[in-house]
Amino acid sequence: MADKDLNEGLRDLESGPRTSETAGEGPRGEAADAASHPTVAAMRAKFGDAVRHHTVVAGDEHVVYIAPERVRDILGWLKDDPAQDYAFLMDVTAVDYGGGRPLEVVYQMWSLTHKRQLRLKATLPLSALEIDSAVPLYNSANWLEREVYDLFGIRFRGHPDLRRIMMPENYAEGHPLRKDFPLRGRFSRAEQTRRAMEMELEDYYIPTELATAGMRATGEHASADAAGPSTPGGMRRPNDPDNWALGTEGGAEGGASSPEGVE
Amino acid sequence: MGLSGRELPTLPAGGGHASFFTTRLDALINWSRLNSLWPMPFGTACCAIEMMAAAASKYDTARFGMERQAFSPRQADVLICAGRVPYKMAPVLRRIWDQMPQPKWCVSMGACASSGGVFDVYSMVQGIDTIIPVDVYVPGCPPRPEGLIYGLLMIQEKIRGESITRADFHRAEDPARTGRPNLSPEVIEEVTVPFGNSTRQNRVSGMVPSHALLRPRDRKP
Amino acid sequence: MSSTTTRGTRTVEYLVTRTPQMGVDGRPTSVPVMPLGVEPEMHGEHMLINIGPQHPATHGVLRLVLELDGETVVRCIPHIGYLHSSFEKLGEYRDWNQIVPLTDRMDYLAPLIYNCAYAMAVEKMMGIEVTERCKVVRVILMEMDRIFSHLLWIGTTAIDIGAFTVFLYAFQERERIYDLHEALTGARITTSSTRIGGMMADLPDGWTDALRHFINTFPKTLDEIETLLTHNNLWIGRNQNIGVISAEDAINYGLTGPNLRASGVAYDVRKDRPYYDYDTYEFDVPVGEHGDNYDRYLCRMEEMRQSLRILQQALDRLPGGPINVDDPRVILPGKTDVMSDMESMIHHFKLVMEGVKAPVGESWFSVESSKGELGMYVVSDGGSKPVRWRVRGPSFVNISALPKMVEGQLLADVIAVNASLDIVLGEIDR
Repeated sequence: MADKDLNEGLRDLESGPRTSETAGEGPRGEAADAASHPTVAAMRAKFGDAVRHHTVVAGDEHVVYIAPERVRDILGWLKDDPAQDYAFLMDVTAVDYGGGRPLEVVYQMWSLTHKRQLRLKATLPLSALEIDSAVPLYNSANWLEREVYDLFGIRFRGHPDLRRIMMPENYAEGHPLRKDFPLRGRFSRAEQTRRAMEMELEDYYIPTELATAGMRATGEHASADAAGPSTPGGMRRPNDPDNWALGTEGGAEGGASSPEGVE
Repeated sequence: MGLSGRELPTLPAGGGHASFFTTRLDALINWSRLNSLWPMPFGTACCAIEMMAAAASKYDTARFGMERQAFSPRQADVLICAGRVPYKMAPVLRRIWDQMPQPKWCVSMGACASSGGVFDVYSMVQGIDTIIPVDVYVPGCPPRPEGLIYGLLMIQEKIRGESITRADFHRAEDPARTGRPNLSPEVIEEVTVPFGNSTRQNRVSGMVPSHALLRPRDRKP
Repeated sequence: MSSTTTRGTRTVEYLVTRTPQMGVDGRPTSVPVMPLGVEPEMHGEHMLINIGPQHPATHGVLRLVLELDGETVVRCIPHIGYLHSSFEKLGEYRDWNQIVPLTDRMDYLAPLIYNCAYAMAVEKMMGIEVTERCKVVRVILMEMDRIFSHLLWIGTTAIDIGAFTVFLYAFQERERIYDLHEALTGARITTSSTRIGGMMADLPDGWTDALRHFINTFPKTLDEIETLLTHNNLWIGRNQNIGVISAEDAINYGLTGPNLRASGVAYDVRKDRPYYDYDTYEFDVPVGEHGDNYDRYLCRMEEMRQSLRILQQALDRLPGGPINVDDPRVILPGKTDVMSDMESMIHHFKLVMEGVKAPVGESWFSVESSKGELGMYVVSDGGSKPVRWRVRGPSFVNISALPKMVEGQLLADVIAVNASLDIVLGEIDR
C-alpha cells in the first residue's frame, strides 16, 4: 500500500501538481457590454475580430481577450490614440492553468490622462508559445517579458535581449512557473548544488559584456561578431589556481589589460 | 563526526604539550581574537535588516568589538550569512568564504540560511552548510537582534575554547576544496530532505489529495 | 567640439564627448572628456567592472556590470535573480491565508503594506467588503510602514553617500516602529498581520497612544535629518542633476512612486484610484520637477510628513466595532466558541485544514507602496489555493530604468542613483 502511494507520488512529482478541473479552456467569464468601457467599444470598432471576448471581473475590472497576432497593433493603438492614451504598461505576466491548457499572457494597462485601467489577455497554445514583444512601444516591457520568458518559456519576437533574468544562465531544469514543473525542481538537491557551483564565466557574463572585456565567448555562447581574442580551450575559471601563471598570454587573462602609459 | 566538513578537534597523541605558557598564550590570543571580531555581513534578505538593526545604536554589536563591518572579505573574521541564499548566489557565497583569511568563523543567521527556511523550492539552497562550513546557527525568521548577538557570543565562546596545542588551531582548509561545496552529494541529499510543513506542499488548487513524498534516493541523479 | 588648455609648456587637447551637466550656479558639474593625442593607447579602451552581488552599497544582492570609459559609465547592465525565492510558485501550493507570511518576506522594509495589499486583492476578487474599523486600521498600518520604509531608505542612502549619523538616527526611529509592530503582531519585521476578511488581531490596548506619541515626536528627528542633509553642500553636490530621467522616459520605463513623481508626473494610486477612503483624507502628494536624485530625496522626505498627517487623521477617525468581517466562510469563529461549541470547532477545523475557498475569478489590485505601485494579481479557479499569484513589484520595474539613468554619469554616481531609486531585492527577485 505504501509502495502504491509512493509510486503515485513519484508520478505526481515527475508530472507536477495536478490541476483542478474547473479551469476552463478558453476565456472565462460572461460577456460584458462593450459600451461599459469606452476603450473596449472603440477597440471592437477598430479591430473587429481581433477582440475575442470582453468580460468584467471582480466588480469593476475589464478584461479583453485579444488575438495574439494583433497584440503589437492593439498595444500601439492603445498607446498612441489620444482618446485611449494608455501611457503605462503596468505589468506583463502569464498564467498557466495546467493540464495542457493554453497559457494566457496578461497585459495590465493604465491611462493617466483618462484614469482608466484595462487588462488584455492573449491566449497561446502550448505548441506555439510565441508572441510579439511590446518593447518597441513600452520600455517597461523589457524586463517584464524577460521574466515571462524565464519562468514560462514564452518567446517574445522582437525583444532586444531575451534571456533568463531570475534563474542563472545555465539553468537546465526548464521553466519554473509552469504547472508541470515540480516545486522542488527536477534535479536532486545535490545536482542543483553541483550545477550552481560549477558555473563558468559565460554563465556570469553575457556575450556583450565579454566583448567589452576583450574576451570572446566560446562554445554555445559564441557569437560570430564578438570582438577580441579568444582564450584557448574556452573560458577558464579565474578562481582556479592553475590559471594564475604570470606573464603568459597577455590578452587572455582577464581581458582588458591596463594600458602601458598609465603609471 | 558531525556533518560539518571539518574534523572535531582532538588533542595530539600523548596528551599534547599544554603548559602554563601555552595556556597563557592561548588566553591572550583568544582574548584578542574574540574581542575584535570584524563581521563580514553577507546580508541578502530580511535577516540583513535585523543584522543592520543589531549594528545600529539600540543593540549595538560594536560594544562586542565588532566596530567595523568589514565589507571586504579579506579583512573580515566572521561571515554572518543573513538571509536566504538561492543557488544562483551559492558560488558567490563560496567565493567570499574562500577569500576570507584564517582564522574565520561563520554564523548562519536565520532559518533560511540554516536550512532553507520557508523556501523548500527549486531555487533555494537548503542550508548554507551545504556550501560553506558553519560554526553557529541562529534560528528565527528573522532572529531578533538579541538572537544574533547571542550567536556572536557563542562564536566568542568557541574561540575562547581554542588552543594552540590542538591540531586544528590553524583551522586549515584543504585548498583543493576551494570553490567546491562543503558537503558531499550524499550528505547534501540527506540533510536537504523536506521536513515539517514542507512535506505538506504537494497539492495545488482544486483540493487534490496529496501523496507520499518522494524519498531522496528516488529522485533523478 | 574640442578645447585646449595649457599646463606649463605642454598643450593638451581634450575632446568633450558629450554635453556637460550644468550645476545650479551655471558652471558644469561634470565634463566628460577624453584626452586626444597625448597617450594614444590610453583612450578608447573601456573597462568592464562588476559590482556585486555581494556589495555593501547595492542595497541587496544586485549585480551591476558597468562598462566604463575612465570613470564615466558608458553602459550599465543590471543582473538580478540572486534572491529568487519563487514566491509565486510557492503561493500556488498554499491556502489564501497561508500566503500572507510570504508577503512579509518580499518587501521586508514595509511588510504591512504587502500584507494589506495582498489581503485587499483577494478580498476584491472574493467580493468581500471589510469593516470600517479594519479599513482605518489598515490605512494606519500602511502609512506607518511607509514611514518605516522611507526611514530605512534615508538611512542607507545617507550612509552610501557618507553621512553615517543619519543611519543611526533613522534606525533609532525605526526601533520605535519595530516596537509598534511587535506589540501588534508579535514580530518585528515579518508581521503577517492581515487575514482574508480582516486582521489577525485587533489593536492592543495602548497601541494607539504609543502611535500618537510616535507621531508627536517623530517630526523632531525628521527635522534633524533635514538639517543635516537638505542644505548640505556635499549632499546637494552629490545629488543634484545626478540620475536625471525625464517625465516621458519615466512613464515609458514604468517607474512609479516617488521616482516617477520626482520627474514631474503627478501619479499616486492613493489619489488616482483611491481605496479605503483615501479620497476623504487630507494629504498632499509631493511632485518634483527635475527628476534627479535630489528631487527623489525631497519627495520622500515630504511623503513622510504627509504620512504623519494621514496617520493623525486616521487615528482621530478610528471607529469602534469588529475588526473582522462577519462572514463565516472566511473568518474563524472566536476561540471561546471553538472550545465550547461543537459546530464552532468543526467550522474552525474546516477553515484551517481545508482553507478559505474563493470563487472562480481574478483581480489585479494595486496600492501605493513606499516604492511605487504594488500590484497583486490573483487568479482563482474555485479552490482554496490560487492558480496564479503574481506580484508586480515596483522595484522590479524601477531598477530596469537604472541603465537609462546612469549613462554618462560617473562611477560614484551609480551608487547614488541606485540608492535613490529605493529598491528592495526581495520584491525584485521574488
